Amino acid sequence: MNGIWVPLWLSLKVAGWATVLATVSGIAIAWGLSRWSSRWCDVVDAFLTLPMVLPPTVTGYYLLVLFGRRGWLGEWLQSHGIELVFTWQGAVVAAAVVAFPMVLKAARAAFLDVDHRLEQAAAVLGVPPTAVFFRVSLPLAMRGILAGILLAFARALGEFGATLMVAGNIPGRTQTLSIAIYEAVQAGNDDTANTLVLVTSATCVAILCLASWLVPSGRSGRRGRSSRRSAS
Amino acid sequence: MSLLVDIECRLGGDDDGFLLRPRWRTDARRVALFGPSGSGKSLTMQAIAGLLRPDRGRIEVAGRVLFDSETDVDVPPRDRRLAYLFQDYALFPHLTVRQNIGFGLRRGWLNLHGRRDLPEQAQRWVQAFGLVTLLDRYPAELSGGQRQRVALARALSTDPGLLLLDEPLSALDAGLKARMRDELAQLQRDIDIPTVLITHDLADVRVLADEVFHIAHGEIQGQAEQVVQA
Amino acid sequence: MKIRTWVAACALTFVALPAFAGEILVSAAASLTNAFKELATQYESAHPGTKVLTTFGASDVVLRQITEGAPADIFASADQKAMDKAVEAKAVDPATRVNFVRNEVVLVVPADNPRGIASLDDLKKSDVTRIALGNPASVPVGRYTQAALEKAGAWDAVKAREILGQNVRQVLSYVERGEVDAGFVFATDAAIMKDKVKVIQTVDTPTPVVYPIALVQRDGRAPEAADFLKFLMSDDGQAVLARYGFAKP
Repeated sequence: MNGIWVPLWLSLKVAGWATVLATVSGIAIAWGLSRWSSRWCDVVDAFLTLPMVLPPTVTGYYLLVLFGRRGWLGEWLQSHGIELVFTWQGAVVAAAVVAFPMVLKAARAAFLDVDHRLEQAAAVLGVPPTAVFFRVSLPLAMRGILAGILLAFARALGEFGATLMVAGNIPGRTQTLSIAIYEAVQAGNDDTANTLVLVTSATCVAILCLASWLVPSGRSGRRGRSSRRSAS
Repeated sequence: MSLLVDIECRLGGDDDGFLLRPRWRTDARRVALFGPSGSGKSLTMQAIAGLLRPDRGRIEVAGRVLFDSETDVDVPPRDRRLAYLFQDYALFPHLTVRQNIGFGLRRGWLNLHGRRDLPEQAQRWVQAFGLVTLLDRYPAELSGGQRQRVALARALSTDPGLLLLDEPLSALDAGLKARMRDELAQLQRDIDIPTVLITHDLADVRVLADEVFHIAHGEIQGQAEQVVQA
Repeated sequence: MKIRTWVAACALTFVALPAFAGEILVSAAASLTNAFKELATQYESAHPGTKVLTTFGASDVVLRQITEGAPADIFASADQKAMDKAVEAKAVDPATRVNFVRNEVVLVVPADNPRGIASLDDLKKSDVTRIALGNPASVPVGRYTQAALEKAGAWDAVKAREILGQNVRQVLSYVERGEVDAGFVFATDAAIMKDKVKVIQTVDTPTPVVYPIALVQRDGRAPEAADFLKFLMSDDGQAVLARYGFAKP
């Protein structure tokens, strides 16, 4: 039974951290892009969305070139005692990279949707720009961003290709649910594979239920969340 | 209170664009900028508030320079100590009336807590506008008139040196308009704060201004002094 | 009506694909990749009109594909255990089973040998943290490695540092890139990358590393398959294999 709970715990741990990373960087960059008006905005956006479109093995390969023992950043990291290849931290990085575009796109759209006049009103009332972000822009964009975060978590949980390339398949350290299933099938352990698949499916259903409880679709509830657009 | 606006700003494309070039000065306590829509009144107001950066020129309020392209002064909106009442009030929909009114009194990253009492300087306006029973409601639950009062209370709580009113009555229906106009006039009498009003409605000008400037096509066309009727 | 005809036509093309005359599909262990590709080319030029398709992977994985219905004609494995599994699953014709090459397991390190490993014992050093080997559950070279290390008394030390590869070529890749300090591959694999990895020593395996090959048992097996097998066992075929380092069985 140990062979089931360890990959499950690992998957949740890796996906959790990856989502945190993707969320913080996704929101920050989306905010920057929505406030920076230049034609380069869309170019940067497209470039940052690449991991969503590239085959995971390609993303994994680029990450290896970057973070491998002989990679550009890898050598520098190693000199500071940080290794990403074959570690769960590496799995987190791989999952974060592929999940990041989900948050970025959702956040960018959500920020563009916030009525700019509200931010102006806040500024005139004497509130500094960072405070305006945390008190007005972010809360109003949160609904849309949450949807992106959930997608990011789901993507990170199911990540396989890039993770396998970067973190390898090390039971107890980097063997997440998807990789454990892959190995069980390869080795012909159908019973293990079946159990793992059931556990994974049950986890995903639980997450979806949690998601619809946190972000109810339909009526926005008692808080008048809709920002009224004026007629002028 | 003296107000000087002498700016130039080109908006839109080079061929088709709109040239905003208002130049006016006044010492009146109640001023109106009167003109049809598209004449540039809102843009001028935004420039005074610091929400629009002119290409060149100078803006001075009560002797304090807010913008001067020659000496490269551009005071950010949060430091201009003005109050701006937006046409649709721009109340924060995710905050209660209490949190809206107290918004400008906190500079930190967190909003005022839902239940805590407002500071003294805001309480005064809550009382003055009769908003005590509405403090825990959300803007979506308020009527047009109530929203305007909340927006005013929010603006005045920060103790501004000048109150800018962007077509304050255009969002209201006819019956309410007249009543709110009188309320505003009373407010102007009660508070010490000078006001600049923009409107395309002559009735507003008659009741709410001592001095009026006509604006059209981005330029001031003329000025008329007004005798306020009691 | 028109749409239904289209759908039927598309469906038919999918169904019709496997049975192509003049095509042989060879499923083989990963270590045979380079040698078999050359054998395939040679056979094709000697027999124009026949195409030899190849697919490679860890022997157990490749076998799994066959038992699940992959239309292979020949199965070549890197150890007897995988072939035994194949016979048990009735995936191959036992009468055609024959050993065709011999190989060796070697200990390799990256070309610059950063940890200065000179023998199996050096693997116990504390600065050696990662050793790559094939996954014994599904990769023959992993099984040979485990058996050999258990015999040499070095298995515990290696297992504590293990980085499992999905097939022998992945293990080789880890070593070549320097992601691990050392690895266990076949001599023939090390020879493919002789300027990128360094062979430290041969590892003594309890069972000899002998590769079996057999014809897959299925309806619709290509008739040319038996001929290709004969070519493999011939002097010409063996010469190609020898060039890659495979010895006679």
